[in-house]
Amino acid sequence: MHRFHNYVINLFILLILLSGKVVLSQSQIIDSEKNFNLNVKQFNEFIDRFNYKTDFNGNPVDSVFKSKITRAKYLDLLFNKDDVRLKNADSEYIDLKNEFIKHVVDRNLLINKYSLKIIAEAKSNVKYKNNSKEISIYLNQEIESNGVKWVLLSVKADFLDVLSEDTVLLRFIPPTSNETNFISLKRVFDDSTYQHYYAYHNYSYDPLSSFLFALNTGLVKYQYVNEIVYHIIVIDGWHIQVKEFNRNTDNSGWLINNIVKTNLDPNECFEQIINN
Amino acid sequence: MNSRLTTIFFIISLFFYTVCFSQTKTAVTSKQAKLVSEISLSDQDIAVFKEQTKQKVEEFQQHIVTLGSKDEPAEKRNLAEREALKLFYKGAQMEISSVLSDGSVRKMARPMEKYLARLKSLPYTQVVIKFYDIAYIREFTKGPDGKYYSTATIIQEFTGFSGDDIIYRDVTKKEVEIIIDLVEDPFFNEKRWKLFLGDIKATETRNA
Repeated sequence: MHRFHNYVINLFILLILLSGKVVLSQSQIIDSEKNFNLNVKQFNEFIDRFNYKTDFNGNPVDSVFKSKITRAKYLDLLFNKDDVRLKNADSEYIDLKNEFIKHVVDRNLLINKYSLKIIAEAKSNVKYKNNSKEISIYLNQEIESNGVKWVLLSVKADFLDVLSEDTVLLRFIPPTSNETNFISLKRVFDDSTYQHYYAYHNYSYDPLSSFLFALNTGLVKYQYVNEIVYHIIVIDGWHIQVKEFNRNTDNSGWLINNIVKTNLDPNECFEQIINN
Repeated sequence: MNSRLTTIFFIISLFFYTVCFSQTKTAVTSKQAKLVSEISLSDQDIAVFKEQTKQKVEEFQQHIVTLGSKDEPAEKRNLAEREALKLFYKGAQMEISSVLSDGSVRKMARPMEKYLARLKSLPYTQVVIKFYDIAYIREFTKGPDGKYYSTATIIQEFTGFSGDDIIYRDVTKKEVEIIIDLVEDPFFNEKRWKLFLGDIKATETRNA
């Protein structure tokens, strides 16, 4: 009888442990699903949430959702909460974030997902002379034949940054060089990294063309995209950076990594993005 | 009397201001709406193709389960491989990102044919794919070639067994490109919209 009693107790403990394990694994699954629901799964979803267009499940935002989560709160959820400036309660960045949210909410500002002012920076791996290098390829969207496409805007790579500046020496091809069979061209092209000073007025070096040349002559072999950072300069006075955070938390997926207040117009802002 | 007139004038001004302001906002919104309608399918079409997208993606996952499980007859696995390929647009690639033990990420892109052939040769006797019921499908957008494009996100837990032992498990987020193309239907002798799967980006999800 005593042995039976022990058996029942052991069985009871075992059942409790097992049920605990089942409950735990179920809650883990539910947690994971909750995470994935909150996860901003695509950049497109980021814009829809930014515009207060869709809820966590991708359904249209309705009055019930609005009564629970304001647009300001919803925008706040789109910031990367692991940002050290937010974790360390950096008042300057928190004030900037709050000012930005207020600016967007008060004016009911929206991001047009086909805007030219959304620039994707595809940080990519390439092989340059058989060495691995990371470069940035900038793209934006164009509308053609009523359809949308992404187009190459520019490329930034250390190895494409080949020209130097010199404001002291006046460089030019003399006016009578034509009569001497342009012998001076040898000197021009030997003037390493300064040849652009001999080009026409307003000439500007084009890294994208150089990159295409390097690809087609075997100097560079393209591999793959490491990471995408979106630069959104749709909202006047603000530069928003969005990237993907791959982690198993509620605050994951495509999130605002940085916001910068700027006085530059979109073209100047773009120049700053690709030159920084 | 004067104050009453001022109040009436204020109310009338406010009314006109509200009407003008809302018209400006409507004009901006309708301009955007026109652009979107020019490049997107109708809501009805979207609903139909979204449903088809879910079916095609599920079909693909089912084929993966079959061709990855060595316990299944070889004939059935070969058929699953062929049927899976039929779902894809020609030239589709699979890019897989794996998180290495040092935290770095390794990426590998393979043509879909090679990916499926490789999956068939993996040493699992059984494959189980658990889906999290939260696929996200973005709206379809027209490309300059007249085809419509979308991306579906699925999150799944892949478990490979050898006998009763789990020899591989991961949770992966997959972004699947969806292409709707106008193709010739030889049976009806007319062109019809058909949905294909395109490139897939598979990312192993990281722990926090």
